[in-house]
Amino acid sequence: MGDRPAGVIGEKVERIGSRERLLGKASFAADIDLPEAVHLVAVRSERPHARIVGIDVSRAQHISECLRVFTAEDVPGRNRVGIIRKDQPLLADDKVRCIGDPVALVAAETLEAAREAAAAIRVEYEDISALFDPEEALRPGAPLVHADGNLLGRRTVKRGNPEAAFKHADVVVERVYTTAHLEHAYLEPDAGLGYMDGSTLVIHASTQNPHYDQKDVAELLGLDEGSVRIIQAATGGGFGSKLDLNVQGFVGLAAYLLNRPARMVYTREEAFLCTPKRHPLTIAYKSAANRDGRLLAADIRVVGDTGAYASYGPAVLNRVALHATGPYELPNLFVESVLAYTNNPTAGAMRGFGVPQIAFAHESQMDLLAAALGMSPLEIRLRNCYRIGSLTASGQELTGSVGIRATLDAVAPQYAAAVRERNGTVSGHIRRGVGIGSMMYGIGNTGQQNPATAHLELTLDGGVVLYSGAADVGQGSSTVLAQIAAAELGLQPEAIRTVIADTLLTTSAGATSASRQTYISGNAVLDAARKLKEVLLTEAADMLKFDRAKVILEHGSVRAVRDADRSVSFAEIARRCHKLGMPLKWQGFFDPDTTPLDLETGQGVPYATYAFATHVAEVSVDTLTGEVRCLRVVAAHDVGKAVNPQGVHGQICGGVAMGIGFALMEEFVPGQTESLKDYHIPSAADMPEVIPIIVEDPEPTGPFGAKGVGEPALVPTAPAILNAIADALGVRIYDLPAGLERVLQAALSARKP
Amino acid sequence: MNSKPKADAATKATVSLPTKNGITLKVNGAVKQIEIAPWTTLLDALREHLGLTGTKKGCDHGQCGACTVLVNGKRITSCLTLAIMHDGAEVTTIEGLAEGEVLHPLQKAFVEHDAFQCGYCTPGQICSAVGLLREGKAKSPEDIRELMSGNICRCGAYANIVAAIEQVSRMGERGDEE
Ligand code: FES
Ligand code: FES
Repeated sequence: MGDRPAGVIGEKVERIGSRERLLGKASFAADIDLPEAVHLVAVRSERPHARIVGIDVSRAQHISECLRVFTAEDVPGRNRVGIIRKDQPLLADDKVRCIGDPVALVAAETLEAAREAAAAIRVEYEDISALFDPEEALRPGAPLVHADGNLLGRRTVKRGNPEAAFKHADVVVERVYTTAHLEHAYLEPDAGLGYMDGSTLVIHASTQNPHYDQKDVAELLGLDEGSVRIIQAATGGGFGSKLDLNVQGFVGLAAYLLNRPARMVYTREEAFLCTPKRHPLTIAYKSAANRDGRLLAADIRVVGDTGAYASYGPAVLNRVALHATGPYELPNLFVESVLAYTNNPTAGAMRGFGVPQIAFAHESQMDLLAAALGMSPLEIRLRNCYRIGSLTASGQELTGSVGIRATLDAVAPQYAAAVRERNGTVSGHIRRGVGIGSMMYGIGNTGQQNPATAHLELTLDGGVVLYSGAADVGQGSSTVLAQIAAAELGLQPEAIRTVIADTLLTTSAGATSASRQTYISGNAVLDAARKLKEVLLTEAADMLKFDRAKVILEHGSVRAVRDADRSVSFAEIARRCHKLGMPLKWQGFFDPDTTPLDLETGQGVPYATYAFATHVAEVSVDTLTGEVRCLRVVAAHDVGKAVNPQGVHGQICGGVAMGIGFALMEEFVPGQTESLKDYHIPSAADMPEVIPIIVEDPEPTGPFGAKGVGEPALVPTAPAILNAIADALGVRIYDLPAGLERVLQAALSARKP
Repeated sequence: MNSKPKADAATKATVSLPTKNGITLKVNGAVKQIEIAPWTTLLDALREHLGLTGTKKGCDHGQCGACTVLVNGKRITSCLTLAIMHDGAEVTTIEGLAEGEVLHPLQKAFVEHDAFQCGYCTPGQICSAVGLLREGKAKSPEDIRELMSGNICRCGAYANIVAAIEQVSRMGERGDEE
């Protein structure tokens, strides 16, 4: 049947926006030229925790091209931003809570003058004792980062009776794992441009979340939402960091108060200094199994450093707790996850919201239990992994699309081959190792409404325009959404024109986060497409005087099933509808079915669907230098349905790259790490061979069965690599990253009898 | 060549210094004359003075490769060099690789292999690859990986970038000859 044309779902299509990017014509925020724009530079705190006694701007005001210096008093609306908790001032008022906190904002005719003026501003501080350790921050009597206490939040998950179960277990393994602060290091430093268009403030932003930006900027300036328009510029990666406001508030404030265009572009150093990081976590993990390898109980306690402001900390806290078991049945469970404010850099959303960290722990535990039982790592995972009917940590029954077993089966041959190869390769100080890492990942926000809307418009010439608020930051959502609309409407994706992430023209799709756009916005687009299709079929049947059930959509027209000559074009239908006074735009909506979590037990239905994955990593470890080379990663992902397989491959390879960084090299040391010079991220030379395997266990509620892959891509890599290093050395590393020194130390301790 | 003016150097300059110099660059085939401060990097000259924003700034310190362009056929990170040092030079940027609507073979290969996600590193990757192929040193995928390691891609499109370059390299393409 012509209804679902080949070449749409599951086929290779060219990424939307490819040509501009290849020709150097894509407009990233810093590329947009407005010659009359003023330049903005922020004055940032050099103290981690201090009261602001005074700000002396007099010398700055004498610099001829300096136009104005803004401080907290100039913020006309509510001087607080934050997606979950409004706890972060745009410009510090009473005090600064971390190094990098913005204290003043300079607007000048030239960038040079703005920098000079910023350097001339004197801020007088009175230091307050600072906190750099979350456990210390939680002690009674600790100095307060925020007036209402240093506890950002606590989430517990309770099932069964872990205490009793531990007593009867055949093996119990208890370890402590730590992870470091990480920097997103998206390649495009944050940038934006604001200007007044009549009474509307327009901001071109490098963002993952335009509709949230709109709300917070409006509230900052005391404007109504309709007076602020956010347009997402081409965005050079985000990975979670660009969910928070970066420069939007600053360019908005200056453009609005000066009534002149204003631009702000972070330097790489500034982006490092003042944008959110990945949460460093300390994870105390105790788990137990019986002789045949069945998991019995786990007791997991996590403490993390959320830094100066909440950002996405509450989301991380929840996700860590709910994903603490990994994709395994655990009938007896206690999880506590706690985040504390400190005077370190704010930690926020970073690809996976804490799941990469907790996966490192649960996957290490699985290998330790397997070793204690003399069982293979693959076997223990097979025995415990979720299946249809399993109950998750939150007591949610999994009823469909549980592809974890399929991912394990998919990598099994390569795993066996890799183990054989490792056994045959013994060469002096170079050791080979093979490791496995699995994961699950809840798609969408945790236990709360997170709807998306989308619109489809039929134009009078028969074209179809897709309107979606979903920011595409490189992950390819625009392409996937166009494919979904095209598939439903019998078109090729190129035939769909897209209008994306402009708060004036599109309605909210929610944030580009939590791997949610394919599933949630995909469903919203599908909903709109079905409505449009309905109209097309009904009108065409009427026009053709033909049975409604026997007409189909094909290449922009509707025709009789068995008679290609009896057809009307979309354009004819559009014109007829228009004449009849019918609207030609349809709204789609989707909100995944979730329930809030019980405050005490963490039980509930936090996500409508889960993605699953297993990676196998092969490494070589030089026991003399500590150098680890990741040689090959086989990465099997259950994505439900790969709408755009090439895009899925891209996400997987990109996730593996980030996973290698997380495992082996990345560590942001607050107060020390400045830029890419001292924060190393993987280059082409660090990349192993990556073999992506797409597993499709269709999600009944997903668009064409699809779930998501953006964050899952990264999660299993580091656990697999760490397990491979342990396999190579016979000694395990519990602290990330496993840099040269840590590996060397492990190698040395392995040599000791 | 590797000395980079400190950002502060600009702000400390006083009015008495000669602040502008005229230089001539042949950019993407067209002769351009610009008046720039002597400490202006080639990257800023391209972006801010010539309006060629295809070349990206990822770090401004030679650490990411996003600003790679070709100067007299050789790939360099344009943030690490002063424009004034290239008076009279031929510069090719990402905007100068396609011939009208016809993409450069590397640009074509990048689409075919889906060698980018956000696309921010892409201009630098492509210019770097043109320079690499012209150097004639990359014989294997391993060589390509090694010799492209100055061009960071945080989206991690490396496998596809290497595959795209390899394909063009096998076609015997020597890169754009300007
Ligand atoms: S901007 Fe020149 S190397 Fe990063
Ligand atoms: S495509 Fe995003 S950094 Fe390379």
